[in-house]
Amino acid sequence: MGPMMYAYKCTACGKLYHPSRAVCRECGGREFEEIPLEGEGTLLTYTRVYALPEGYMKPWIAFGIVEFPNGLRVSGQMATDDLATGMKVRATVGLVKEGVGKDYYGFIFEKAS
Amino acid sequence: MRKVGVAGVGHTKFGRSDLPLVDLLSLAALEALDDAGIKTGKAHEVDQVFVATMGAGMLNRQSSVASALVDTLNLQPAMAETVENGPASGASAVKLGYMAIASGMCDVVLVVGGEIMRVVTGWEATDFVATMLHPEAEYNYGLTLPAFAGMFTRLYMDKYGVTEKDLAIIAVKNHENAVRNPVAHIQLVPNLHAITEDEDANVINPYVADPLRVYDVCPVSDGAAALVLCAMDQADRFSKKPVRIAGIGQATDTHVVAERKEPTDLLAVRLAARRAYEMAGLKPEDINVAELHDAFTILEVAISEESGLFPRGEGHLAARRGDTRVGGRIPINTSGGLKAKGHPLGATGVSQIVEIVRQVRGEATGRQVEGAKYGLAVNFGGFGNNVVATILAREE
Repeated sequence: MGPMMYAYKCTACGKLYHPSRAVCRECGGREFEEIPLEGEGTLLTYTRVYALPEGYMKPWIAFGIVEFPNGLRVSGQMATDDLATGMKVRATVGLVKEGVGKDYYGFIFEKAS
Repeated sequence: MRKVGVAGVGHTKFGRSDLPLVDLLSLAALEALDDAGIKTGKAHEVDQVFVATMGAGMLNRQSSVASALVDTLNLQPAMAETVENGPASGASAVKLGYMAIASGMCDVVLVVGGEIMRVVTGWEATDFVATMLHPEAEYNYGLTLPAFAGMFTRLYMDKYGVTEKDLAIIAVKNHENAVRNPVAHIQLVPNLHAITEDEDANVINPYVADPLRVYDVCPVSDGAAALVLCAMDQADRFSKKPVRIAGIGQATDTHVVAERKEPTDLLAVRLAARRAYEMAGLKPEDINVAELHDAFTILEVAISEESGLFPRGEGHLAARRGDTRVGGRIPINTSGGLKAKGHPLGATGVSQIVEIVRQVRGEATGRQVEGAKYGLAVNFGGFGNNVVATILAREE
């Protein structure tokens, strides 16, 4: 199995976070369990960035903010150029940055079929 | 608490500098000390130095910059600290200076903000600025500040009907102000038609992070700005009547931008401004001039609303009407703003306050807001996760 992305659920009150936190904002709890964060979501907004930072050998990358049905919102890269706010997308996990001696994986969203 | 004021201001030309960081900081510092009428050398009266810089360590490979500045200026044995709070470092340093004097620990504090950014490429600078984002949930994706500004702009356009032309109107206004400010980086005014409706607009003004274009984004600049802060009960020691710091507010918000409940809200701006108004005993309607952190044109719109100068969703309408021009109801970014004056990160919060001091003193030649008495500065860190608002008042 490839790399997974997770939501972090407060074991005391059930509030979900991504990324992880040390303390729950709602109840002050300090223990969290990992829940797979996957499936379909809604694209809230997006942009195509033409001035990428050091380390990317591409002319541009599209980014978006996606809301999952559980209410969590995350940022990620977009694998499609057919973009519209409100569209349904499906979360995949892929290589988002090639580091020196280390690769970084994260959300890459595809258009939901 | 003792009242605190600004006795002197200094500001280097923003743009490109060949000076080492500390030499650039000392230029601004000396101008501020001279403006305040403070002696240099053995008889200096500086109790504390705060230096605001975000990039010294990463871009210039220098640490403990405040200690180095004290040495260059021979201000020993003054206390000294370097302050890093992202792009809000400048206003944070001013806040710490305020606290040092209000507490009674100091009478005179020198605050200097500055940055030498153009020693690296634009790609490296963009990467460096992005290090303030969340490492795993944002930075590692290649997300940058322009990326978040682009996504924020799209939401704002959908919700409030802001157009690309509205944003260009703000850019042109700030460039017009900048050519009347000799220390501003960009000394040219783009043509509104050419950057919006011209058939070559996509070439003249290409997208950076759509819907934001080149002329919606601040340049990368070198520069420094400085203030001499003083206890108001010591005002007669200085050559000019100090401008009082009437209110300071600061607030934080979620590090991860996607997590915010309402993605078009900048809660830290709202809360910081509210706290500053409460401390000053003033309302947004009292403000005569404002410097708002327009690293992207959309931020001038959003901050003008969150700080109460205009109702939600109407900041762009105010700009369209000309309310925010010099001569309008509430002129914004008379200095040229980050957009045209430039944005040397650590300098910016200090530079905003320099402009407000010049406005309320009546020294803003060529761009003076008639009768300005109360001014607001909003310095915005992260993508709005750490914001400092400062209100200055002319003492009668």
